[in-house]
Amino acid sequence: MKRHFRELSVACALGVLLLLLALFAPNFFDAQPLLSRLTAAAPKLVLACGVALVIISRQIDISIGSLFAVCTTCAGLVAAAKLPLPVAILASLGVGALGGALNGLLVAGLKLQSIVVTLATMVTMRYALLLSQQGVLINLPPGAQWFGLPMTAGQFTVCGIALALLVLLAFGTKHLAAGRFIYAVGSDSEAARLAGIRPQLTTFWVFVFMGALCGLAAVMNMVQSPQADPNGGRGLELEAIAAAVVGGVAVSGGRGNLWGVLAGLLLLACISPALTYAGVKPYWEKAIQGAIILLAVVADGVRNRKKRN
Amino acid sequence: MNTDKRGFKSILLRHETILVLLLIAEVLYFNAAGRRFGTLDNGFNIVRHSVEIGLLALVMTPIILTGGIDLSVGSMLGLCAVLFGKLWRDAGLPPWLAGICTLVIGAACGGVNAALITRLRLPPLIVTLGTMSLFRGLAEAITQGTDAFTNFPPSFLFLGTGRVAGLPTQAWILLFVIVAVWLLVHRTTFGRSFRAIGFAPEGARYAGIPVERRIAFAYVLAGVIAAAAALTYTARFGTAKADAGFGYELFAITAVVLGGTSIFGGVGSVHGTLLGVAAIAVLSNGLSRVPAIMNTASELSGMLTGALLLLALAGGLLPKLFAARAKQSASSAAAK
Amino acid sequence: MRALKGVSFDLHGGEVHALLGENGAGKSTLIKVITGAHQPDGGTIEIGGQPVRHLTPAAAHKLGVACIYQQPALFPDLTVAENIALRLEPASPTRRVDWPTRRERAAKLLHQIGADISPDAEVRALSMPEQQLVEIACALGAGARIVIMDEPTASLTQKEQHLLFAVVKDLRASGVGVIYITHRLEEISQLADRVTVLRDGESVGTSAVSEMNEASLIKLMVGREVSQIYPPAESEPGSRVLALKNLGCVAGGVREVNLEVRAGEVVGLSGLVGAGRTELARILFGITPADAGEIFLNGEPVTISSPQEAVAHGIAYVPEDRRRHGVILEMPIAANMTMAIHPRIFPGAWLRFGAEQQLALDFIRDLGVKAYGPEAPGNSLSGGNQQKVSLARWLATKPKLLILDEPTQGVDVGAKSEIHKIIRQLAKAGLGVLMISSDLPEILGMSDRIAVMRGGTITAMLSGKSDAHDVMAAALGQTK
Repeated sequence: MKRHFRELSVACALGVLLLLLALFAPNFFDAQPLLSRLTAAAPKLVLACGVALVIISRQIDISIGSLFAVCTTCAGLVAAAKLPLPVAILASLGVGALGGALNGLLVAGLKLQSIVVTLATMVTMRYALLLSQQGVLINLPPGAQWFGLPMTAGQFTVCGIALALLVLLAFGTKHLAAGRFIYAVGSDSEAARLAGIRPQLTTFWVFVFMGALCGLAAVMNMVQSPQADPNGGRGLELEAIAAAVVGGVAVSGGRGNLWGVLAGLLLLACISPALTYAGVKPYWEKAIQGAIILLAVVADGVRNRKKRN
Repeated sequence: MNTDKRGFKSILLRHETILVLLLIAEVLYFNAAGRRFGTLDNGFNIVRHSVEIGLLALVMTPIILTGGIDLSVGSMLGLCAVLFGKLWRDAGLPPWLAGICTLVIGAACGGVNAALITRLRLPPLIVTLGTMSLFRGLAEAITQGTDAFTNFPPSFLFLGTGRVAGLPTQAWILLFVIVAVWLLVHRTTFGRSFRAIGFAPEGARYAGIPVERRIAFAYVLAGVIAAAAALTYTARFGTAKADAGFGYELFAITAVVLGGTSIFGGVGSVHGTLLGVAAIAVLSNGLSRVPAIMNTASELSGMLTGALLLLALAGGLLPKLFAARAKQSASSAAAK
Repeated sequence: MRALKGVSFDLHGGEVHALLGENGAGKSTLIKVITGAHQPDGGTIEIGGQPVRHLTPAAAHKLGVACIYQQPALFPDLTVAENIALRLEPASPTRRVDWPTRRERAAKLLHQIGADISPDAEVRALSMPEQQLVEIACALGAGARIVIMDEPTASLTQKEQHLLFAVVKDLRASGVGVIYITHRLEEISQLADRVTVLRDGESVGTSAVSEMNEASLIKLMVGREVSQIYPPAESEPGSRVLALKNLGCVAGGVREVNLEVRAGEVVGLSGLVGAGRTELARILFGITPADAGEIFLNGEPVTISSPQEAVAHGIAYVPEDRRRHGVILEMPIAANMTMAIHPRIFPGAWLRFGAEQQLALDFIRDLGVKAYGPEAPGNSLSGGNQQKVSLARWLATKPKLLILDEPTQGVDVGAKSEIHKIIRQLAKAGLGVLMISSDLPEILGMSDRIAVMRGGTITAMLSGKSDAHDVMAAALGQTK
């Protein structure tokens, strides 16, 4: 109980928010708009889970927004070339993994700081994409949208993929040795080395996995519209990191839980509709998100300080 | 010469030499291939366009020297620009008074970062990530997302478009800040302290350096200068909007790291940062003057900047590798 | 410098073999050789009757060598059960984690050593002794044949000590050989079967505990002629520079310290590692401020809550960890020397390179620092010269009280005697010097008076004419 205090408090905050919405704005829970909201949030959940793993291993990745756009473009181009959709999906995953491997190589192989490495790859990839695509939207063949399913079924599929991934990852980080290695490396990489774990290798694979998740999120996002947008994904890295941090993933590494990340993401995602219903102008959304991030960080800081004393 | 530097003379010299050579190569190439690149007007143009990034990069240098980082400078610029507009238009303050108030607001924004980092001992990366979102969000909230402040009096716009003694007005501000920050970093005990903290925060504490106060100073200074950059930005474009300076923090950090300042702290110089800013500014301007690639110049320059940063990062590693190897062979020789 | 010269040591299954020696006698180096962390450059190691070559940490682990260090190498964010599991389970990433088994195994191991720790507790929430118990559980779970314990009782309470002794006895009964390193003589007679004494990197004797008494052990530990010549005291103690009344600090583990240091005298502060000497220095220097008692400087009561205040009061502290705290290795020695006197030498915060250069050159000459110049970075100097730079930084503050923490640790013989001469001159010039040292001859040779700490407080004040036996006995808690 005590161990999950942080996650539970976020879940409680989310519960209160949902309760208030239910009381004052019951039509928030109307099926179709709610499903649309969840579908829009699903790719972000995938990214947030990935970045949570990165932060747990005591690294950071701010290139995921750019990588997301690169993957979207690749998948879009492949799909537009009339190749079957699975090929497009594979292309997206592959390119994502490749981009992640580049980050991982620089961070784990050359032992550079992940913040500057991913800053550099973020800028490079974004502008390379702009250069090659000129920001032109890619028209997708009709079979691509919603995986060729009716819209509602497609929305369920997208949400289902995100949920399945979350369950899988939550299970993996808890019950698979590889998942525990991530926590071990983030908690104390020297102790991990003594226990026979290879910290650099673990870090490398975490970045590769993060990249592949970018590819997955890109596909999940692309199928929601008739066109693939090579300009997308701006600021996604911040949303994902915010969800992870609010959800209780400690930036000092080694701590965090993917269910907490889900709670954090939903909390942040519910703010803007809640504001709308409360009559607050939606322009406050970003400020409130920032304040919530700071609140979460400060809460962790104060807690750590108390523990030290 | 500067005492702080001689120890790393070889590394820095090499790094800065490479940057100077790069800069010369850029100028020569664009002068030959570009249209109206090598004119005085274009020179002023480059300066005008790089003042804000330059200012932010200059104050980012001390922060990175202490081993920290500030991702919120771009957002501070945006918030300050909007508040300046608000103070002038809605509160009816004259531009000069509104400007002074804006600088105070910038200091307060930097103070928020400083307080969270030094009082609660939170990592700068995540603190400034949060304030980056907060400050930008506040700017959006104040302008309701769409409101833009325009029609500033010509006396204020002069700051961004006029000339004083033949140079663009804001060039004088940049020059003043360059000299001030250079003196701060290279000629005062503050610079010493920043380096000492970057190399060994505990060691600096044991030497009686007021570590927290020095770190706080660096972040507050960044706030003040971000506010100054907000003023030149607003004066240059003639409007203050919530998206002012969006993404500038990335260019500022890129320029600093490109200029040879180590992200681990301790090593670096203000002139290196200036060279980094110049390399980026000339590249971006020059590409837009080459007819063949004129249309894609901004994308190309952004990509090349990122690639340069990657190269600088990997290149910064080389001296370390050599040093480690030399040390290894020395110790193995000693063992024998 | 060689840490180990000639050590013969043997361990039988089912025995507790105590390893005894002063600080720096070579115990930790010996451990590192046995655990494979260091390679010996001569001699042989046999484990289980088999000669072992090229012992690595992994190989030692396989052969059943486990070591419990004073600072446990655990994962602070993970549970006890997981910490134990990560050590014992194979490091293959695709394996399924079996939490019930992990928890059961941890509970069983913890129960076996009688530790009242929940397997689900997070390690960061555990106290240091509890963390040590977790380490012991790891060793037990790994089925170690050789268990090395490095001063396991240093931070334990009485109750925890009894628990630990029971665990050690259990281990012995199950046929495990235990190497037990301690500074507490009474533990040896309670626990050990045999004892080996190390001195200056050599084993000077192994015998059954029943054949030894505490007096003979102390004699073996210190039985060395003071080979070095120390500069004689030339000054008469003057006025009282520092007086402490019942000084304490919970966080530093220091309590009820009473001490006086006079101008012109060198007070040696002796005691074993962990007795609270460095912690006392950190209180006086404002790094971990005192929360009880009073500090008087030149008769005036003062509070010291930061290093800046300490410097302003005329206190200087040359720290023990030269490389992390004493000198900023990447910076030039001139910058290092002026670092504590920024306000004085650089009025208005402007650097004055001329003045700095001059000051550095003066100190380089006066202290005989061997460096290619004031611009040489700290890491281009040898240990002894780094120490002189650290000393110069604090002399530059013109202090009234100079606290030296292990001033000659890791310093070669020549530099050592130079530093001793400097300390003497400083005392002669009227400074009060408080010198922490684990080097017994140094304490005896340099001190006008000797304060001995044990368990966070000063337990004995001896005259400078005392002999090694008296000091060691006081440090070990023996009353005559």
